[in-house]
Amino acid sequence: MHLKYESTLREPLVDGEKNYHQVTEDIISPIEAKPGKLWYVGFFISLLLLAFGAFSVTWEVYYGTGVWNLNKTIGWGWDITNFVWWVGIGHAGTLISAILLLFRQGWRTGVNRAAEAMTIFAVMCAGQFPIFHMGRVWMAFFVLPYPNTRGPLWVNFNSPLLWDVFAISTYFTVSLLFWYSGLIPDFATVRDRAKTKLRKLLYGIASFGWTGSTKHWQRHEALSLVLAGLSTPLVLSVHTIVSFDFATSVIPGWHTTIFPPYFVAGAIFSGFAMVQTLLIIVRKVLNLEEYITMGHMEAMNKVIVLTGSVVGCAYLTELFMAWYAAVPYEFDTFYKFRAAGPLGWSYWIMMTCNVITPQVFWFRKMRRNVAVTFVMSIIVNIGMWFERFVIICTSLYRDYLPSSWGYYRPSWPEVGFYMGTFGLFFTCFFLFAKYFPVIAVAEIKSILKTSGENYKRGMEQYEGQSAEQFEKGLHHDDHHHDTHGAVAHAHN
Amino acid sequence: MKDQFVVPARLKRTSFVLMGIGLLTLLIGLFAFHGEHGSTRFWAGLLQNSTFFLLIVLASTFFIGATTLAHGGWQIGFRRVPEAISMAVPYLGAVLFVILMLIVFLEKEHIYHWINAHHVAEDPILSWKSAFLNKGMFTGFAAVTIGAWILFTIKLRRMSIEEDGWDLSPATGRRIIWRNTVMCGGFIVIYALSVGSTTPWLWLMSIDAHWYSTMYSWYTFASTWVSGLALITLFVVYLKRNGYLPMVNEEHLHDLGKFCFAFSIFWTYLWFSQYMLIWYANMPEEIVYFKPRVWGEWRPIFFLNLLINFITPLLYLMKRDTKRNYSSMVFISIVIIAGHWMDFWQMVGPGTYKELVFPWYELGLGVGFVGLIILLVANQLTKAALVPKNHPYLKESIVHHT
Repeated sequence: MHLKYESTLREPLVDGEKNYHQVTEDIISPIEAKPGKLWYVGFFISLLLLAFGAFSVTWEVYYGTGVWNLNKTIGWGWDITNFVWWVGIGHAGTLISAILLLFRQGWRTGVNRAAEAMTIFAVMCAGQFPIFHMGRVWMAFFVLPYPNTRGPLWVNFNSPLLWDVFAISTYFTVSLLFWYSGLIPDFATVRDRAKTKLRKLLYGIASFGWTGSTKHWQRHEALSLVLAGLSTPLVLSVHTIVSFDFATSVIPGWHTTIFPPYFVAGAIFSGFAMVQTLLIIVRKVLNLEEYITMGHMEAMNKVIVLTGSVVGCAYLTELFMAWYAAVPYEFDTFYKFRAAGPLGWSYWIMMTCNVITPQVFWFRKMRRNVAVTFVMSIIVNIGMWFERFVIICTSLYRDYLPSSWGYYRPSWPEVGFYMGTFGLFFTCFFLFAKYFPVIAVAEIKSILKTSGENYKRGMEQYEGQSAEQFEKGLHHDDHHHDTHGAVAHAHN
Repeated sequence: MKDQFVVPARLKRTSFVLMGIGLLTLLIGLFAFHGEHGSTRFWAGLLQNSTFFLLIVLASTFFIGATTLAHGGWQIGFRRVPEAISMAVPYLGAVLFVILMLIVFLEKEHIYHWINAHHVAEDPILSWKSAFLNKGMFTGFAAVTIGAWILFTIKLRRMSIEEDGWDLSPATGRRIIWRNTVMCGGFIVIYALSVGSTTPWLWLMSIDAHWYSTMYSWYTFASTWVSGLALITLFVVYLKRNGYLPMVNEEHLHDLGKFCFAFSIFWTYLWFSQYMLIWYANMPEEIVYFKPRVWGEWRPIFFLNLLINFITPLLYLMKRDTKRNYSSMVFISIVIIAGHWMDFWQMVGPGTYKELVFPWYELGLGVGFVGLIILLVANQLTKAALVPKNHPYLKESIVHHT
């Protein structure tokens, strides 16, 4: 059965009259043109932020972590908050490329490339925080287990912080490979269209001599499948291990069994919000509204309302158990230091942004509204930043010894460091948007004949048929293209 | 097209025999287990079986809800199967409600320690919890949640059958999608707030009334959801074997197999997260739950649980061929259901009758419930065509390629 059919009630994933050539034109031509003025302005601002970040970090390394406002109870502050926030954002890329692939969600093809790029840049940003939190950053390689002359002194394999080192470096490697292997055929397309010698050379190197032969495609497909298989557990494992950083401890507010799945849901939640923020701008600037349609944004908004509600359920479960457990320390952390107390405001920002406001996406009108989606995507990421702040700081700032209790606000190098990672992220993203195909050309082509608007018109003829008629037609078709059918079967 | 199910006499007979075994076991149990402590096992067995079997048939309603909200097309070819299974919810819901009420109002304190007012008064932790763990709250939650599940299940089934009388026009198709989406949205919210939170706390976690775990309900959900998927698979294969569901083929079976594989791993993920975090922190108020299970008599069951519910489906379903073969899917589905039944057994047993014994009574009751489910589902399958012929995604299900 090789009939390309999809219900006409599903909206097309590619709008307009498109053929394969038009798809290439639409997506590749921005790479070949000079970037607009806005691109230069944006890129320059990103570089400035990056420079300020580098300055703040240099300041911190030179004078030591004492320049941060960490204090007796707050051993982790903005640094680890930002670390978890960035790692979480990365999750959407992996979810889209691996899990949505397994679920056969065709709409992933419009957004996967940019989401995977976002993942890689976000993980790069995240990685900075634990490294510079070490203070004596030149000894950062001590976290790697290798036979050494220090005793030999080994890393603590019982520590979730070490598991984090493994989890995140694996995650980064696999995401990078997945992203890059998808890029190879598209780079070859850019190379083949190149008018200048330099472009031909550079994209030629980047595409590893891809010729598009059947053998190449076969190996490419096999590699994608293996990498998708590897990435699937990574979607769960990375944030699970980040949650272990907290939950394996015995600190009230941190030690709770629901943390792993709830962290993963929250990570996907914030990741999708960041994808929305970026793609709403990208589709507008690069005129890609026919490929990143309202349907794509609606699908992502559904993921946002789902994961936001899962997170909401987890918040309420925690809150309930803090009472139900009948442990006075848990009770105080949640009801006196989180929902109330000097840092209580952060808890209510978190609740509002993550649980209450995303509920607007129960309504179709809201899910399909670009302005609402854009504002919500930012609100969600503010909320998710505060979630990490709440978990880390409101659990720490009042410990068992009231004489150590204090308040916490960041110093300028802490804020500067955070701003610097925005600089790093957007510098990378601007370069990506200029030099890389922001949509996976080859993958769009793979769904075009099933989900393209002009192709879907041809499917209307089937809609009135009864199931029997439709099935009979299929078998009839099979007889005519016998060899074809056999090939399709063998392939699948 | 063979589209109208007729219950074969053999199936009916089998279901009655199984129910007979269940009733007989119940009667023997009534005489074998009496006295204050003795009757504990009688009630614990009923509680374990009725919660487990209700939640796995309710998983069919959840299956319809989740696939509808996700705009799935592949499952429409056999959608009538989870619909029929879900229609067991009203019956099993009623059975469970009666059992819960008897346990609470006959004050079976060895099932739920918090029922006994004296106990509560002497125990500061139980008195702290008494705002939640009390008869009124328990009854109210049970009535409201079971009632809501029944209402939504019946409504979804009715809508689906009603749509058979409609037509194939796009406007009708849109209407079908819309009203099912709205109804399923409502159900999912109810389901998440009950099965995903309060229900397992009250019915099962409160057996170990001092203990708590925020993961508990999600863990219970995962256990019943994967078993529910296995149950759907069993009925799909049964119908297929008897010449029904011509549009369903190994492509659909393959996807059900993938679901069983994925959610077995998901269950293990939640199992590991709950266990590992409690083991690692090693706090007295938390490890008390795992003491009898890991370091007491129940130790073999603890490991068997992992072996059957994780290792077996992981290795068995990893290969493509096993997911596309009717016999092998029947085998693994039975293993999964039995494995999670055992999971429920180790959730209930150690906190109630404490000692590990051969569960002849619990198994006998389980067999009875299986018979009841077969009878109810077979009967429901006859009540409508086996293919929802006007569903706009039906043709996608026909051309489905996994």
